[in-house]
Amino acid sequence: MEIIITGLNHKSSDIFHREEVSKKILTKELRGEFIFNIKRLFFEETGKQLIQESAIISTCNRAEFIFVVSGNSSGGSKNNDYVLVIKNIIIKYLFGDNLANEELQNMFYTYKNFEAILHFFKVASSLDSMIIGEPQILGQIKESYNEACEFKNTGLILNKLFHKSFYCAKRVRTETKIAAAPVSVSYAAVELAKKIFNDISNKKVLLLGTGEMGKIAAKHFIKQGVSEIFITNRTREKAVRLAEELDGYDSKTIIDFNEYYKILTVADIVLCSTGADSYIIKYEDIQPIIKMRKQRPIFLIDISVPRNIDPEINKISNVYLFDIDDIGKIIENNLDVRQQEADFAEKIINEEAEDFMNWKNSLNAVPIIVNLRNKVNGILSAELCKYINNKDENIEAIVNSITNKILHEPITKIKRAEVDFNGLNLMEAAKILFDLEINLNGMSQENKDVEKETTKVKNAGDAITGGNAPNNVNDGCYYNNKIVQLNNNKNNKAK
Amino acid sequence: MIFKDYYFIPIILFSLSYAVLYIKKNNPYNSFIFLIYFTFIIQSLIVIAGLNKYHFTMIIPIDLMIFFNSWILMLIVILFELLYKAKYIVIYATPIVIAALLISYFAPSMDINAILKVDSWLLIAHIVLILTGDSLFTLAFILSLIYILQERKLKLKKNLKIINDGNKNSSGKNEGRLFNFRRNFNYFNLGKGYNLELLDNMNYQCLKLGFPALTAGIVIGIYLSSALFKSVSSVKPIEIISLITWLIYAILLHERVAKGLRGNKAAMLSIAGFIMIILTVGFSLYLFPEFHGLK
Repeated sequence: MEIIITGLNHKSSDIFHREEVSKKILTKELRGEFIFNIKRLFFEETGKQLIQESAIISTCNRAEFIFVVSGNSSGGSKNNDYVLVIKNIIIKYLFGDNLANEELQNMFYTYKNFEAILHFFKVASSLDSMIIGEPQILGQIKESYNEACEFKNTGLILNKLFHKSFYCAKRVRTETKIAAAPVSVSYAAVELAKKIFNDISNKKVLLLGTGEMGKIAAKHFIKQGVSEIFITNRTREKAVRLAEELDGYDSKTIIDFNEYYKILTVADIVLCSTGADSYIIKYEDIQPIIKMRKQRPIFLIDISVPRNIDPEINKISNVYLFDIDDIGKIIENNLDVRQQEADFAEKIINEEAEDFMNWKNSLNAVPIIVNLRNKVNGILSAELCKYINNKDENIEAIVNSITNKILHEPITKIKRAEVDFNGLNLMEAAKILFDLEINLNGMSQENKDVEKETTKVKNAGDAITGGNAPNNVNDGCYYNNKIVQLNNNKNNKAK
Repeated sequence: MIFKDYYFIPIILFSLSYAVLYIKKNNPYNSFIFLIYFTFIIQSLIVIAGLNKYHFTMIIPIDLMIFFNSWILMLIVILFELLYKAKYIVIYATPIVIAALLISYFAPSMDINAILKVDSWLLIAHIVLILTGDSLFTLAFILSLIYILQERKLKLKKNLKIINDGNKNSSGKNEGRLFNFRRNFNYFNLGKGYNLELLDNMNYQCLKLGFPALTAGIVIGIYLSSALFKSVSSVKPIEIISLITWLIYAILLHERVAKGLRGNKAAMLSIAGFIMIILTVGFSLYLFPEFHGLK
């Protein structure tokens, strides 16, 4: 099993390309379609369907695609190919036949296994964010996970990976001071507003759309004491709901989305975070408005990706437009305060990533263990049946019990050797000693027969992974179920 | 020691205050402003002594006139600083005061001889009004420059500081003074009131106060000149150039009031007006002194 992450973020790409990508995976349906098509293209490309699990993380600063691909880690070069195959498929899907474009190739980063885990934990802990330590990203990752679960795209590895990342992010948040300093988009927006306006307390804010970031920024402006806030959204209910959220603040007005132009003549600060895929405020619309405002300056903050305000607007005098990239760059230039904390946080992330890797490596031993158990089980039941004639109902139980007793030590050692890499290749040794034939592809064929038997175990597995994590019902679930079964046994023993 | 040598005291003290600003590590601004105020008091004393020497008739040598002008400019700068709590104005405007002081020190002494006996009060009013107007427009010029630079930063989105690290103690003590200078400089970039709206408001305020002063000064000047040359009709170069300057500010004021012109374009016009003022001063004092009643 390989974990592969590919994608692009605010560091690797510019806003134009991120916009392009984000348009293609804007809605849930589009994302579902995306995963389906990637799997199809992968099958067409390689002739095998090895993508077992997948998830999409899409925020305004990044679009990342996580895949779990079944395969053997010993075939390193082959797997490297899978990384490239997936990357190319995604670029092809998103940008058409622009594969030769080196710029695009560089824009998409790829990570595999340990690096991927490390990267993912960094993202979740907000170390890779535009604003280090900002809290929104974790919520966004949780949403992505829920969606992947809904699509039934997660399995054993991703379930564990996501849960571990939540845990890791929580540790980083509580054990470091990374979230303590008030540097965020909303903070930067307020500071920028202070560079334009003398007194924020007599300024009016227009909130276009009810996106998460816009909401937070609006709250920040309210805290700074702006005189009035206008809220508008295409779906009026959302605007009403947001207005209810701001119950401590009285000077708020909900306006019709078609009438926000009228407000542009009075509002001084415009926060835009809608989900629209084109410009809402256009160059030609702002020019007359500025005349009507008698050249009073207007500060526009476009937090949405794709952008909702035409960037050309910034060229009009007395209009100041900042999009998410601009703010990000400003913040980046202003951030060395958090670097120390970030170093400390990276240590935590390293620890957690290693922990996860160990767990993942221990999974490699599962086929051997399963085969070993089957073999011993088979021999025992065959031999016992020879000598015990009366068909005792407990014979299966006896066989299982003896198998467990015999194999307990070897299995523990095989698992540990796989984790510790202490030079003992016990897996190979077990293969030779017991003459086990492990054919991974063959195994998946075998799965289908075993699948029926393992439904019971699967239910138990659901209970362990939190109940809300649907298991993959595709080919790859065989090992998952086996692992869950093993874990189950272990837990029972512990009890 | 001739009287002119006293001019050198404020020059040294003003320069010293900048040295303090760059070198001092703790609260550099407080020491700086203290020295500025102190120097201003000394400057005021010299002005009073100088004017007293000529019995406050304002028929004074040209160097004292420029010295007097620099004093008015400093007064206006300090008043604006106190009124708008915009610390940085003093830092950016004082170099112009120093420049004026240097000119007054090195300027060739040119005595004003009243060619004609005029009403002394009118002369005083003319001089004070014109100098006040010019000083206000000088401040407007400085504010416009800051505005344009600051707006450029915001439009290009470069070098924008949003975190005040100026208050952070520097860890290494031997980091040299250049570092300290830059740190202090950044501190003022972040100072309260360093925003476009306030800069524009102050600019407008300068215009609103300076324009009537300039207008009245020019009117009195024309009256004095006609009295001097016994005719209103003959147009003198000083009048033409003064009227051009006046026209620039008149357009600026009109646009601001009628069309709400502000920001970059207003700042540009302010700068143009200031260039005209410099030309006018050069014209009237050095190129055609005789038309100005000077000899």
